[in-house]
Amino acid sequence: MAWRFAIAIAAIAAVAGCGTSGDRAESSVVVERFYDAVRHDDGDAACAQLSAPAVKALESQSGQSCPSAVTQLDYEGGAIVRTQVFLTSASVDLRGGETAFLDREPEGWRISAVACEAQDGPPTELPMDCEVES
Amino acid sequence: MRRVLRDNSLSLFFLLIFLASLMAQALVGHADFNNQQVAHQDPTVSVGRYVTSSAFLVDVMENWQSEYLQFTLFIVATVWLVQRGSTDSKPVDQVGTESDEKQMIGEHAKPDSPSWAKRGGWRLFVYSNSLVGVMATIWIGSWFAQLITGRIVYNAEQFDHNEAAINLWQYAGTSEFWNRTLQNWQSEFLAVASMVVFSIWLRQRGSPESKPVGAPHTTTGAEG
Repeated sequence: MAWRFAIAIAAIAAVAGCGTSGDRAESSVVVERFYDAVRHDDGDAACAQLSAPAVKALESQSGQSCPSAVTQLDYEGGAIVRTQVFLTSASVDLRGGETAFLDREPEGWRISAVACEAQDGPPTELPMDCEVES
Repeated sequence: MRRVLRDNSLSLFFLLIFLASLMAQALVGHADFNNQQVAHQDPTVSVGRYVTSSAFLVDVMENWQSEYLQFTLFIVATVWLVQRGSTDSKPVDQVGTESDEKQMIGEHAKPDSPSWAKRGGWRLFVYSNSLVGVMATIWIGSWFAQLITGRIVYNAEQFDHNEAAINLWQYAGTSEFWNRTLQNWQSEFLAVASMVVFSIWLRQRGSPESKPVGAPHTTTGAEG
């Protein structure tokens, strides 16, 4: 009986907050939409994938509106190689070496930081350097 | 019905206050979680989503694992270690697993002894160690659950700081995991030590956790 209880606890823990396949799929779609919009110089569509704090930060840093500023930044892009979701946060790694971070907003997943690359030192210990971040 | 309630009042009381405090923890934990989310410009979550998330579960599991470790260690330790004068200790001349006669097993079992106490072999061995076995299993299970859920919460914060996620093995080596673990362990061990020592000199009339009020300080293992 005790081992069943222990396994049940561990199983519940394993699925709690790991992120469903739906969360991972939606996060990936948002990142794909962003890079697609940037490739087509569609600033409005790109900004629609960003979180409100990320839009605000970009406009504050650039002194321009988000649709104007977002397409002028430096992106590597590439195919999605991995998507991870933990609680209300997600990351999407791209083949070109960039990572996008997302938050689950009431209206869906939105990008909080994009075109992030590791600085000198392990990315598990140092914040990445991002073109757009909230 | 009244007799059932009376005969089981101790366990019912603690089960009820456990459930009440767990629900209260869920509510205040939800409020605290959302405060942190707002401070980080992150979205808030509903109570339902919070109590099914690792953010809530890690806080529950880190406490459960330390409680069951406390019981596991206490049960094993009291077989071999003694404290003169303490209610929680055996008499100092009875260290060890004791005789079959004292333990009422095998040929010394009573008619109403548990069935596996009357039998030999593996059944007797398993039943003779069933209490620590169950406690240790629940401890290991809840500690493992703390590891899994703690990593999820840790990685959510990693992403919040634009840092990469870590795997389970890496998380097991973090100061965060061991801080959660050890802050619980130290309090459990202190609580047991307090009970063992306080019961030497202090009394609570009517409680089996205390010696009789008039019992000498040197009396060991007596219940009030």
